[in-house]
Amino acid sequence: MTNEYIKPPVEIRYKNELDALKSVDIGKKPENWVLSPKAVRTFILGGIIKTADGKMQIKRKFYGNDALVERCIITLAGNRGLMLVGEPGTAKTMLSELLSAACCGISTNTVQGTAGTTEDMIKYSWNYAMLLSKGPCREALVSAPLLIGMEQGIFARFEEITRTPAEIQDSLISVMSDQILNIPELENEGLVFAKQGFNIIGTANTRDKGVNEMSGALKRRFNFETVEPVRDVRLEKEIIIREAQDLAKTGHIDQPIDTDAAELLAVTYHELREGVTSEGTKLEKPNAVMSTAEAVSVFYQTMSSAYYYGDGKTDLKELTQNLLGAVCKENKDDLEKLKSYFRIAVKEKSASEGGIWTEYLDTAKYLK
Amino acid sequence: MDRISGYSQVSEIIPFDYSQPFLLFPVRHHSPVCSWQLIRAIKEYQPDVILIEGPENANDMIGVLTDERTKLPAAFYYYYKDRKKFISDEAEDYKCYYPFIYTSPEYNALKTAAAMGIEARFIDLPYSEILITTAENKGLRSNKDKHSYTDDSRLIYSKFCKKLCEKTDLRTFEEFWEKYFEIEGLRLSVQDFVQQMYTYCIISRNDETEDDLAADGTLARENHMALRIKEALKDNKKVLAVTGGFHSLGLYELLKSDNIQKEKLHKLSQKDEGCFPVAYSYEAADALSGYASGIQRPYFYDCVMNKLIHCDDPAGVYSDTVLDLLIGTVRACDKHDIPVSMADASAAQSMMSGLAALRGCHECGLYELEDAITSSFIKGEKTISSALPIDIMHKLATGDKTGHIGDINHVSPLIADFEEQCKRFRLKIKTVTPNKTEVSLFTTANGMELSRFFHRMVFLGTDFAQRTKGPDLHRRKDRSRVREEWVYKKVPATDVALIDHTADGFTIEEACRTCASRTLRHEKHCDVAAHILVDCFQMGLELSDDDKACAENILNSDGDFFSVGRGLRHFITLMELQQLYNTEFSAAENCAKRCMTRIITALPDMASVKDDHIAECAAIMYAMQKAVTDGFREYRQDYENALLSLCGKSDKDPFVYGTALGILYAFDPHRRKLAEQAMSSYLKGDRNVQIQGAEFLHGLFNAARDIIMTDDSFIRMTDTLICGLDYDDFIEILPSMKLAFSCFTPYEIQQTATAVAKLYDADSAELLVEKPINERLYSFGGEIDKEIVKLLSEEEKP
Repeated sequence: MTNEYIKPPVEIRYKNELDALKSVDIGKKPENWVLSPKAVRTFILGGIIKTADGKMQIKRKFYGNDALVERCIITLAGNRGLMLVGEPGTAKTMLSELLSAACCGISTNTVQGTAGTTEDMIKYSWNYAMLLSKGPCREALVSAPLLIGMEQGIFARFEEITRTPAEIQDSLISVMSDQILNIPELENEGLVFAKQGFNIIGTANTRDKGVNEMSGALKRRFNFETVEPVRDVRLEKEIIIREAQDLAKTGHIDQPIDTDAAELLAVTYHELREGVTSEGTKLEKPNAVMSTAEAVSVFYQTMSSAYYYGDGKTDLKELTQNLLGAVCKENKDDLEKLKSYFRIAVKEKSASEGGIWTEYLDTAKYLK
Repeated sequence: MDRISGYSQVSEIIPFDYSQPFLLFPVRHHSPVCSWQLIRAIKEYQPDVILIEGPENANDMIGVLTDERTKLPAAFYYYYKDRKKFISDEAEDYKCYYPFIYTSPEYNALKTAAAMGIEARFIDLPYSEILITTAENKGLRSNKDKHSYTDDSRLIYSKFCKKLCEKTDLRTFEEFWEKYFEIEGLRLSVQDFVQQMYTYCIISRNDETEDDLAADGTLARENHMALRIKEALKDNKKVLAVTGGFHSLGLYELLKSDNIQKEKLHKLSQKDEGCFPVAYSYEAADALSGYASGIQRPYFYDCVMNKLIHCDDPAGVYSDTVLDLLIGTVRACDKHDIPVSMADASAAQSMMSGLAALRGCHECGLYELEDAITSSFIKGEKTISSALPIDIMHKLATGDKTGHIGDINHVSPLIADFEEQCKRFRLKIKTVTPNKTEVSLFTTANGMELSRFFHRMVFLGTDFAQRTKGPDLHRRKDRSRVREEWVYKKVPATDVALIDHTADGFTIEEACRTCASRTLRHEKHCDVAAHILVDCFQMGLELSDDDKACAENILNSDGDFFSVGRGLRHFITLMELQQLYNTEFSAAENCAKRCMTRIITALPDMASVKDDHIAECAAIMYAMQKAVTDGFREYRQDYENALLSLCGKSDKDPFVYGTALGILYAFDPHRRKLAEQAMSSYLKGDRNVQIQGAEFLHGLFNAARDIIMTDDSFIRMTDTLICGLDYDDFIEILPSMKLAFSCFTPYEIQQTATAVAKLYDADSAELLVEKPINERLYSFGGEIDKEIVKLLSEEEKP
């Protein structure tokens, strides 16, 4: 079933793991949760569980800060919403999907925040044909994610919350304070009480924080968690390899992963993001987002290109050109910074380590 | 692993049995659970003697530490002067602290022993012997600013620890320790706890090689401790030894095999080695303060210990203490205007409990609290500024109190000298607010002495006093002031700094002298050496012959013109002030002469100095001019030759060139021609050269103002320069021209104006002062203006 979709939802993609965890989960669960907090932790951070069929390895899905995941789980079990903030490409959305799928069994009850998001898209709207024929009644009501979450006792995910206008964001305040949604058109039947298990997971990226800053009142109703980029090169390499493998599987690209190229890319992204090479030389940081998600995208593009147009081997020329496309998007200066990275860092590594770094240095001529 | 792989139980390696005559109790320094279990063990085992890991030359001080009046944090301060060169040919001084807080197992062992009437003593090698047996850059001889005897780094940073943290999904060793030892250890029996400690410590030690252990003195120390334990076993039926867990296996194996080596300790005089108790601070006791001296956030754990001692059941102690800290953090946030509501505090409390349950902890600890604050108090992205609540919590958990030594007969000699001097000068040191005092430098001898005392305290970095007014000899400002104003207050850092300098001398004067000598010995730059000499001058310390030789060596070896030039300026200042300050400071004159010799030869090369050094170069040239005019006449000819040589260089900076010609003119007015020729050549040049003429005039007029007064040639040339430039170029040179004329007195400006007016057949008063406008005429103009506006607006109407 998972092969039918480009990106199946988490609860489908990891159905086996979720079922296995559910079958062995004896921990205490908050009302309406599918798994206990400990099992949710295992689902996201990985581990080994003993099932009736023997031991089963649960894959780690989120890398970086385990304590952050633990705090997220406890926040969601309480009466405050969870707001994940951080730079683009730091897996905020993925974490929110994983949490929703593990806690509620569903990760698709989502509002995507944009400048055009209205209250209707968050709370409810009407089936106007039915509204005209029957008047305001429950049948004519079209539930939006917030109402669905409240009625079913599941999480409502609000992506990119700061992209929506401030007054729309603030419509969440009363719901989060009182856990009641009033639909005045339904008169006496219009009060919807949130069922146990309801909560909101918001995400916001810090580069857009100035677009529509959240009000203090709304902030008070959330616990904030800042998701940082992965700081460990080794870990970043692992993520690139794992994600590229998954994407290749979904895209039916039957090709082994070039781990050396993955390491090269992980080092490049890490050093450009931190603004310093592993040898301690200072670098100019590009303005572009140097996230692990971007690195995965660059690597997968290179893999696809090699699979469809090449001999299946990773071509560093392609890698460099894809890197160029990913880094030099908005700012002209980024091209110079990337060139300078090759002149300084790659050259230094080529001299000390040789091999693939020398090949990589040769591709600098394509940076234009 | 070889040593331990053959055993199924750790008790098979090191037994812990109350029926045995000897018990070895392993501890981690400053660990509350170790202290709590140790107190239980002492009460259950009832030993005849308790032997504690610690340099045995502090045995006489045990009573001071356990004195009821003594408040922790306190420390034993050890010092050793290697005059006999047992350690190295450098004959250096060494010092280290052995800190105690209420969670320290060693302190609790001493205190419990005193309460139960049991003899207790330290059994480690004296501090000097530890140093002598330690290899360079290892252990207490490692390259750190501050050394602690209770360094736990081997227990904390072993490969085993890293693996443990990875395996248990915990961020740091401290988090691991709190979860599995501090909190869970309270639920164990003494025997089970000790076995758990042994397991951990034995595996940690397994990473170490015999060579490593020998190099940092561990083997020699364990041999000595084993000797002392063996001696105690002869005279006592029950002996309890309390040592760092790292030594447990080594000690047990030595005692079991009876392979203890005989030793011979070095004979040292009392002057070279010593120990005394000192007040210590929680900030310094924190393992995060720069050296691994036990536990992090010591005040938090002291609060835990306090609750443990006063309760029958340890359950809930951590949760209570963490809650207290949470409430304290909320209050402190309020004081810092950080909006934290009770709802946030309540959310944090739920978060702590939830995290503890999720992580399988029986109680919340410090790390659950930190996570709870991160999640509930930080609104928005976590940044340095938004994470302030965490910093506040860390500060509260670290503590800011300073201890107190109850027995005043055992204070550090420097603190004693400080208190005596404060008494002599009637300085108030027991006030909580800063005190202000005015010091007359030259009317009474006492005033100068007090000023020197304050300067000495500043030099030692004690944070005791700060000069708010008075002559600043380092910057050569306010030299004419005859009074100094000082603000002083005794703060905890004062004691700490004085204690730190104990190895430097037993009086403040001696410590300053030693510090100054040491700094000079390690210095390579003339300007810094001169700075130290100014400090010495202000402190009233005449340099020893060695220091003078050292200073001269620095001058000889420093090849930086500017460093030597800056030094010269300092030395000239000191020479000038010797008489006024009634101080013999012969070093200044010798050093100034040596500086002159060095920089005269280098001066011609300054002709094309870089832009950012031009002003300083001129300042040094003036200083040299002053030196040869006032005192060092023997250097005048060389100086003039150097200036002439500079003027003869091809690629000269115009400002430096102007300054050089100005100084030469000041020495000999007949050299006016040289300056005129130089200026006229600037005028004859192209646009860029002409612009440089302004800088030349700036340098020239600054060095020789009167050159413009003798005749009008420079005024004419200045006029030619200004008139020959277009508007943009004039704007470009305007700043330099303004600076060139800024050095003149009002009378000289008047004279210049007269000369300029003569040039244009004008009245000099017109040039300097614009004619005032007639008030009636001004108001009449205003009225006409209004009328015009009125008429125009009427015309515009259709």
